[in-house]
Amino acid sequence: MSATVARAGIRSVRPFSLALLLVTTTALGYYSGLPDRSGLLVAALGVVLAAVLRASPSRPVAHSAPIPALAVLVLGAVLAPVGLGIELVAGAGGLAFLLWLADEPTRPLGGAVRSLPTVAVPALALGIAWSGALFLPAGSVPLGVAGGLLALTLAVVAFLVGRPALFDREEA
Amino acid sequence: MTDGRPSRPLHWRPLAVLLLGAGAALVFIAVLLRNPTPLFLALPLLLAPVAAGVAGPRTSPTVRISLSVEGAAADVRLSGAVVPEEELDARNLVVELARPPSLVGDRPPRFDYSASEVTFRATWTAPEPTIAEIPVPAVLWRDPMGLVEREVVSSASPLVVSRYPPELLRIGTVRLERTTPLPGETRSRRVGESGEFHGIRPARPGDPPRQINWRATARAGRTLANEYDLDKTGDLLILLDARPTPLGATVDERLFSVCRAAALGLADSFLRVKSRVGVGVFGEFLDVVPLSTGRTQRIRIEAALKQAHLSSAHAPAERCAVSARRHFPPGLTTVVFSNLADDPSEDLSPYLRRRGFPVVVVSPSPLPLVAAASHLTGEDEALANRIAKLVRRDRVAQAWQESPTIDWDDYWSLGRFVEFVRRPRVRGVG
Repeated sequence: MSATVARAGIRSVRPFSLALLLVTTTALGYYSGLPDRSGLLVAALGVVLAAVLRASPSRPVAHSAPIPALAVLVLGAVLAPVGLGIELVAGAGGLAFLLWLADEPTRPLGGAVRSLPTVAVPALALGIAWSGALFLPAGSVPLGVAGGLLALTLAVVAFLVGRPALFDREEA
Repeated sequence: MTDGRPSRPLHWRPLAVLLLGAGAALVFIAVLLRNPTPLFLALPLLLAPVAAGVAGPRTSPTVRISLSVEGAAADVRLSGAVVPEEELDARNLVVELARPPSLVGDRPPRFDYSASEVTFRATWTAPEPTIAEIPVPAVLWRDPMGLVEREVVSSASPLVVSRYPPELLRIGTVRLERTTPLPGETRSRRVGESGEFHGIRPARPGDPPRQINWRATARAGRTLANEYDLDKTGDLLILLDARPTPLGATVDERLFSVCRAAALGLADSFLRVKSRVGVGVFGEFLDVVPLSTGRTQRIRIEAALKQAHLSSAHAPAERCAVSARRHFPPGLTTVVFSNLADDPSEDLSPYLRRRGFPVVVVSPSPLPLVAAASHLTGEDEALANRIAKLVRRDRVAQAWQESPTIDWDDYWSLGRFVEFVRRPRVRGVG
């Protein structure tokens, strides 16, 4: 890699969303319960790898950048124990991941800001879900209900994804 | 279809599929492990693609695309802008600019984004004369996260760039062999020393000394030239040999592309001075644009040359001559573009001469292309080049026995051809 290409790669890093992703992912890694705090290291490595891949001049390599970041997030969330704070960190990690996606280096600056209306929808849903978990009495039965509702959500999402024309607005 | 304009559907990008897959997996893991933490991570991943689809434009947005080309000879500088016609943030547009295959350039196009428009610039080089069609840039609306996209609608047309040797720009002033009155006898004004005196005008670079009005120049203190009205115009036939040769498809294609560009330059120059120009492309059969003049004829010729392609079948030269006689009157000044790489291509001019067409052959030399593709080095390369030059010289000499033949080895200069057609005494030879 030439010095010019390397400099262009470094310049393409958008620090705010990357820092947010790094903080939430490492926090989730910290809580993941892996021995000797190795979860923290794995999470940090995953995010750094994602940032490096994204700065690559090769388009296919840059397109694969979200995979390591998503992998460490999923790993942290799956291994993390039950806890309200941890759930919030997991949700925040998901939102930070979306903001990081919006800061695509090959596109104009300010992608994270422009994506706020879109990110607001899952953020709102996350807030409602977390508030429900915090204030409502919880047990194994509500978890089953929540799982069922999420499965239903999944089915609705799959239905919508299969019919993109539903997003078109018919003009009068 | 809405509002009479096509609507393009929303497309899910691979990233959206990745997020949905990861979200679905997290839901099932959460239920299996009876742990709600993965559910909280799954929620943003599952909702983001749907939210991106809903937050974006609900029908195909329309944009206005402007394209312009600057530069001369080998230099092609493209610039343009994409302006959304609706309230749409232009920074969410993705513009993809395709470089025509006949142009080269290492530097990627430069895009400048603002909220209201996307401007772009690209600098390419034409390695040899060419007629290239620059397609309309592909424009997509893509959400900032890159999860969904939708094609936008634009009404722009592709841009045709023609680059040919600059000498052809002034060749139109040459008097052609067959000069006939135009049907309808519309008087055409053109520069030349024959015809009725029209007036005096400031001299331009390239005006011959005989056209300068020296007395008027002395009086005015600046160079002035006479201008004449001509009520007659010349006819020109341009023929392109599109038959395959032993040089191979790649070299044939490049040489044919060079010929097409030069033919357009030649037609352009003569049409500007109101001459009538016809074009024939001889592949398996002769495809013609009949003699005519004016801007419409220029468009016809450009379209015909743009679509012209090499034939895969060999056809006898006599077929071309018979067909040409059917479409064009004899006696027309005929310029044949042929690479003279084999015997059949040399046969074209004798047959045309026998049918009454005075032929000048312009032959683009394959040597520069063949030499560039050669794997030989050092003495071997020098020897091969020398032999190739001798063979080429022999072919051109043989062709000269039938018709005047110009060996065109520097594709960006047709000076020898222009010089030849401007000197009547030399034109008489052959």
